[in-house]
Amino acid sequence: MQRRTFIKTLSYLGAASAFPFLSARGFAAISSAIPVAELPELKGELTLYLGRGEGGLYEDVLDAIKKRNPNFNLRIRRGPTAALANMIMAEAKAGVSQADLFWAVDSGAIGQVVDAGLAQKLPGDLTQQLQPEFRFSHWAPISGRIRTLPYNPDRISAAQIPDSIMALPDTDLSIAWAPAYASFQSFITAMRLIEGDKATTHWLKGMKNKTKQYAGELGVVMAVERGEVDLGLANHYYTLRLKSGKPDARLALAFTKNDAGCLINASGVLALKEGKTATDFIRYLLSKEVQTYLSTEAYELPLAGQLPTPAGIPNLAQLSPPNVDLTKLADLRPTINLMRKAGII
Amino acid sequence: MTRWPLSYTISLVIALLAFFPVIILFALASDSVQMFDIRNLEILSNTLLLMLFTAVGAVLIGVPLALLVTYVKIPWRKFWLILLAAPLALPSYLGAFTFYAAFGTGGEIENVTGIATPALNGLLGSSVIMALYTYPFVLLSTRAALSSLDASQVYAARTLGMPLLSSIWHVVLPRIRNGIAAGTLLAAMYALSDFGTPAIMGLDTFTREIYVEYNSFGLSQAAMLSLQLLVVVGLILYLESKVKGSQEPPGRHLTFWPKPWQANLLLLTTLPIVMLAIVLPLAIFSLWLWREGTGNFDFTYALNSAYASLLAAFFAVILALPLAYAAIKGTMGRIMERITFIGFGIPGIVMGTALIYAGLQLPFLYQTLALLILAYVLRFLPLAVGTIRSSTESLDGSLVNAARVLGASPKEAYQRITLPLTMRGIVAGGALVFLEVMRELPATLLLGPIEFETLATYLWRVYEAGYFGRAAIPGLILIFISALGLALMFSTERWNSVELNEEEQR
Repeated sequence: MQRRTFIKTLSYLGAASAFPFLSARGFAAISSAIPVAELPELKGELTLYLGRGEGGLYEDVLDAIKKRNPNFNLRIRRGPTAALANMIMAEAKAGVSQADLFWAVDSGAIGQVVDAGLAQKLPGDLTQQLQPEFRFSHWAPISGRIRTLPYNPDRISAAQIPDSIMALPDTDLSIAWAPAYASFQSFITAMRLIEGDKATTHWLKGMKNKTKQYAGELGVVMAVERGEVDLGLANHYYTLRLKSGKPDARLALAFTKNDAGCLINASGVLALKEGKTATDFIRYLLSKEVQTYLSTEAYELPLAGQLPTPAGIPNLAQLSPPNVDLTKLADLRPTINLMRKAGII
Repeated sequence: MTRWPLSYTISLVIALLAFFPVIILFALASDSVQMFDIRNLEILSNTLLLMLFTAVGAVLIGVPLALLVTYVKIPWRKFWLILLAAPLALPSYLGAFTFYAAFGTGGEIENVTGIATPALNGLLGSSVIMALYTYPFVLLSTRAALSSLDASQVYAARTLGMPLLSSIWHVVLPRIRNGIAAGTLLAAMYALSDFGTPAIMGLDTFTREIYVEYNSFGLSQAAMLSLQLLVVVGLILYLESKVKGSQEPPGRHLTFWPKPWQANLLLLTTLPIVMLAIVLPLAIFSLWLWREGTGNFDFTYALNSAYASLLAAFFAVILALPLAYAAIKGTMGRIMERITFIGFGIPGIVMGTALIYAGLQLPFLYQTLALLILAYVLRFLPLAVGTIRSSTESLDGSLVNAARVLGASPKEAYQRITLPLTMRGIVAGGALVFLEVMRELPATLLLGPIEFETLATYLWRVYEAGYFGRAAIPGLILIFISALGLALMFSTERWNSVELNEEEQR
């Protein structure tokens, strides 16, 4: 219970910045995030395919990078993440490759493109900047999002929420979820990898009668806030963003322990063509300034260096995310089949 | 069929072009064995019911409004026509989202006014919203059909003692059945292929299955399911082709002259529609704008939207003319016309991806504005073809024959008789394409030139990110630009018009 009180205190005080970013497991040497001032100037032109807009926030980051590098021209195509991944593969097949970089909000889409052999290997000193469990040879995670249980404190107390995601079907809570949403499916994939197919099917079937379906996870969080349900399953930032627009929102966050319920997934970037400018551009995304901005303004978890988590989220030492290889989350097909079999989608 | 007219050759080329993305879908689907799970009858019945209710709702709203703006002498008639057609330019997912946010316990209406409203969701919610954002299809196609009707028969019926409403029911409506059907077909196909609205309203439909597959990187499965959806599309295309209007020479335009209070009362009845389809979403966005503050909106987005839509409307009409003409010439022409409709029933994102593959066949055009316009034209050709064909169909052949007997060449007869008499249909078709392109999303995102941002793509961006306040200003501009575009188009309506048909020139 102490932990939850702590989380609550944090979300009221917004004092998370006082706590250093410490990894729960790895204490391997992580350099502190590199300030933009130490990065080489970007020159030439790059084409970026940006999966999902994320409003003006990623845009602000990109604008700032452009402004800092007057001799650099960045061309951006925005689209739904899955559509852009399909597009990149279609272009590669036709030999008309347009993009230098692909930045996607969903590591599953990144995995698809990496598996198709279209991503370039990244230099080692670049991946070294990331937390040890977020180092991959062909793509760089940029920001993290953690699975959470947003709940309505007017309807239930924190004590009624189990510590284990697998215990959720045995409670008498009413629950909102968005099974068609990519992050949810990644979470089920993680559950499948940790608990096995049988337990996951059992869990899905047990949840089926307790849940109300929504189109996306913002809808889930809104439904919790409106009191349509007691509790929801959603990425952390939807709650923080809703609260930033509506500070008196009836919303609080709970976290499960060491299971798929508190999976940390990541948005990520990969280079489709070789070139110094492309890798230097990725360095900018991992810079101290960009990482801090994404954390304070978009409420995402910074993954490079040792930066604080956004206000409202405890630092990672307080959380216990499961140990799952993010690239394995791209294996969606068995998850979809399982969800169909359970009658969820 | 004894001869192969020129319009057939042109139509064949256009029909094949429009069908090409569907052929690509067949190729993409070939490595999938995914079949629609027939046991899952709930999803199929949801889909069919949503389609049916949307069609019925669009007719119930669209036909009376068409009668109002065509026949009743009300002040500012063009203004009302444009305002009532404008909901077609608003993406229906935005409408659905604001409805969700506005109604129900804890909704914005309750927050602001304290009045509790029932939540709007499920089949009912989806149907209401879908009808609100598709009735302009019926409104514009019905208006085009109405304005070429001869009023004498109504006057005869009235003289013989038939009450006004039953003379409209028995004398007017049966003669414009094909115009109503053309619009209803489009509304039904829109309901069939839209994803956002049923998803937000929590209704499981066929498109949701398709999106789940698409987003989990099952492109071939999504393509396969989309092709299976075409069975339903084929069925409604067949049903619509069975609807026949009447053929008659044009005559005097029917006009009702209500007293001012009657006119105001009639306009008052349209208020709920305008309130729900336009004012409510913009009001909700404005509320959020006030709460959150504005974002960085660039006015070039509006210009991009406007000129891409106008170009698409112009070319769609040009390509639709031979198709509509071929459709009334014979069975083969009819089949070619039907083929162009098929793509409209395929969910946007799947079609967008098929168009990428099609576009990659023309590398020199890939990701240029020209290719984007071509994609718009091919995708929205049915909007123009339907209205133009239904207004051409009702033409009595005797006028053209008379012209031919008097020595006019087929070309001259077409230019001087057929074209002017179908002008209302042409403008209505152009207007439908214009409005639909204004809100089009997947093709714009995937096929447009890089950095080509429109109002629809900007709205999508802020919606995706959850910054709804930033949707208020572009939403308002979208309505405004659509109104301007429509005003421009309707002003060409009287070009080369037949005097008989205009009450202003009695």
